[in-house]
Amino acid sequence: MEARMSDVPAKPVLLKAVTGNRLADGEVVFWNRGAWRERFADIELFEDPAEAEAALGEAKAQPTVIVDPYLIDVRIDDGVPIPVAYRERVRALGPTIHPDMGKQTEGGAVIDAIAHASGAARSAGRIKLIKR
Amino acid sequence: MLKLIKLDQGGPAWVEDSYFDVPDEEPTPGQGDVLLSFARFVEEGEALAAAGRKVGVRLNADEPVEALAPHLDRVAMVALVFPKFRDGRQYSQATLLRMRYGYAGELRAVGDVLLEQGRFMARCGFDAFAPADGTGPEDWAGALARYRHVYQTAADRREPNFALRLQAAEGA
Amino acid sequence: MYRYDALDAEMLADRTAEFRTQVRRRVAGEITEEQFKPLRLMNGLYLQLHAYMLRIAIPYGALNSAKLHRLAHVSRTWDRGYGHFTTRTNLQLHWIKLKDAPDILASLAEVGLHSIQTSGNCIRNVTADPYAGAAADEVDDPRVWSEAIRQWSTFHPEFSFLPRKFKIAVGAAPDDRTAARIYDIGLKLRRGRGEEGLGFEVMVGGGLGRTPYLGPTIREFLPTRHLLSYLAAILRVYNRYGRRDNIWKARIKILVASLGAEEFARQVEAEWKAMVETGEAAGIDVPEAEVARIRQAFGEVPFEDRPAASAAFEAARAGDPAFARFVRHNVLPHKVPGYAIVTVSLKAPGEVPGDCSSDQMDALADLAARYSFDEIRVHYEQNMVLPHVALDDVPAVYAELQRIGLSTPNVGLASDIIACPGLDYCTLANARAIPIAQDIAKRFADPAVAEDVGELRIKISGCINACGHHHVGHIGILGVDKKGEEFYQLTLGGSGLEDARLGEILGPALPAPRVAEAVDALVDTYMRERAEGERFVDTYRRIGLAPFKAAVYAEAH
Repeated sequence: MEARMSDVPAKPVLLKAVTGNRLADGEVVFWNRGAWRERFADIELFEDPAEAEAALGEAKAQPTVIVDPYLIDVRIDDGVPIPVAYRERVRALGPTIHPDMGKQTEGGAVIDAIAHASGAARSAGRIKLIKR
Repeated sequence: MLKLIKLDQGGPAWVEDSYFDVPDEEPTPGQGDVLLSFARFVEEGEALAAAGRKVGVRLNADEPVEALAPHLDRVAMVALVFPKFRDGRQYSQATLLRMRYGYAGELRAVGDVLLEQGRFMARCGFDAFAPADGTGPEDWAGALARYRHVYQTAADRREPNFALRLQAAEGA
Repeated sequence: MYRYDALDAEMLADRTAEFRTQVRRRVAGEITEEQFKPLRLMNGLYLQLHAYMLRIAIPYGALNSAKLHRLAHVSRTWDRGYGHFTTRTNLQLHWIKLKDAPDILASLAEVGLHSIQTSGNCIRNVTADPYAGAAADEVDDPRVWSEAIRQWSTFHPEFSFLPRKFKIAVGAAPDDRTAARIYDIGLKLRRGRGEEGLGFEVMVGGGLGRTPYLGPTIREFLPTRHLLSYLAAILRVYNRYGRRDNIWKARIKILVASLGAEEFARQVEAEWKAMVETGEAAGIDVPEAEVARIRQAFGEVPFEDRPAASAAFEAARAGDPAFARFVRHNVLPHKVPGYAIVTVSLKAPGEVPGDCSSDQMDALADLAARYSFDEIRVHYEQNMVLPHVALDDVPAVYAELQRIGLSTPNVGLASDIIACPGLDYCTLANARAIPIAQDIAKRFADPAVAEDVGELRIKISGCINACGHHHVGHIGILGVDKKGEEFYQLTLGGSGLEDARLGEILGPALPAPRVAEAVDALVDTYMRERAEGERFVDTYRRIGLAPFKAAVYAEAH
């Protein structure tokens, strides 16, 4: 049965991505085709959860490069990728009380969109990381 | 047979482990040194020791040394199991064996035994280690020598700093 | 303050070398992150939202100018030119690189600073009364005992892998200025009866977090000479029987609560008795000569003979209303005539509570050297204390504090907020704490308004771990995650002091934009209802929750 666009309420498309902290300096980094990028704007987005898991598996195989990589949810707001969870937005930007520090100082469309995004969801990544 | 590091006069060294670790579901071999769980030891330990066999006892972290204490004269070796390197219960158990019950035989650390915890283990009275991380006697010699002094007394009876200071003051 | 001898310094050097080795092994892949994490935590190194965070130990909050200058240097050289003083009187740096950590430790070690056991499941920084050596009501200097405990607990082989973290506080006055009842072990020095000499009241099993408890007294009087062996008995019982199956049930407070204070005390006494009988205790307790050595290594402050009143001080007070206000809130009497205890507020409205820039640290270090016999302390309310300032010098100190932006006259007032770093920095947080603190503080930025409201201790935690001590705030604010949005639950009437109690939940959690106005509504209710001389918390205790609740939630009806 064909869904008609006008009848179906638009559901936000949730994509997956891989992030972690760099071992040597703790920098927040984002996976992109086997490399780790410092800007959220450069993050590789996965529609297929299996591909995301595969990428995560590759990331986990780099224990001397990256610490505890995990998957995050990303949505697209007007063509711009935004992390869904508050926590991931803070990681992508820097401390909200110091606009002069962290990744947010670079500015640009993606940074602006993240800083002004509304709504959020619980980050599964964070819950799993609270362990002994 | 385990790969076993023993502390002796010359420092940490590989030794042959003479103890056969008897699984609970299996019968005790008719000869040789045996390592038994506490439950098995309760059943057969006395008889084995009376027959001149060397018997070791394996205690898990939740098996209190108090229960073993009355039998220590029949025990040739105690192995304390570290279920996870972060589980510190066996440090207290080892200390009690040495300090409370005067156990003087081999005290072996088995399980999740890693180099970075070696110095804590040695100070608590362990003198034999079955490392789970592929490290060897040279590594352990280095790890055990990292600190020239210690602040507090422990089962190894190293002189603590406060005692050294007292001696220095009295000597002065 | 305590001067490190060669053995103390050597310990730091060996620690630095060991950590360098451990980092090398981690980077080379010889140990896994799971194996490395407890090691780096035992060196105060967390992996947080933006970078590694290093928690530098400030044992019992005590600093001198050399140490504070070094903290300025370290925060400038390896961080972003500022640091954050915590409710445990440590200093946190938020932008650290792992590869720099060994060099940082080496730099700290040069002045007797370190980050030993500021995290991990071990015995943490032992705190003391922030006014030690200056308060008239203390029976002894608690820092001597905090230092003895620090040494005993450092790299303690039996107690480095506890079920969970372990925190000890030491006070020495009838007035509790250490929050002893919310500590794993709270120790209160007191005089014994007759020939007994000094001893400790021992409280065990306090704590905040998901299941807050006030610690019961398990021993009314423990002679000081038995302190360390008795602590060892407590730690041994905890190490053996504390829960290890659930991180939220692993603190000693859970063990004490589940056994009951009486049974827990019985087990400790039985263990201690066995230690005494076998001679183990005698080996653990340090001899009187060592206590005397520690006491002497603190040095005696060479107070001058001064008249109780200072003409310069009085003139400044009479002539400058701002200075007079500063004196009313930030200056306390000292046990020695002619001196005062000066609190430096790190809570300028609009600033990040507890933060201090490297430049400010340098200036404070100079003030300490010049005006406070080279002593400066960190207070667990995230302020600094110059403990020994001559009254004659207080106006000059104030002038310098004004110059560096640290003269806010708000100690204990509504804008003197305790806040954890929260979701802006911390991986554990549900919500941000700092912007909430800033919003509230701005509403009380007018010092006359803050003074009129009077004593009001607001404490904000970004998550249930309660590093902001919200349970014991007059107004407590806890960040919770409600469907991914930042919500905040308010509590009223808590106190961490002598009248220790936990706060009462006000009502349903509020969204971030409504928190500051809710605090306004609570304060308005207080101002309307208060009787003569009542603080906010007194009015609440008299009239109860209902009027406050109605004021905040009225719109919802």
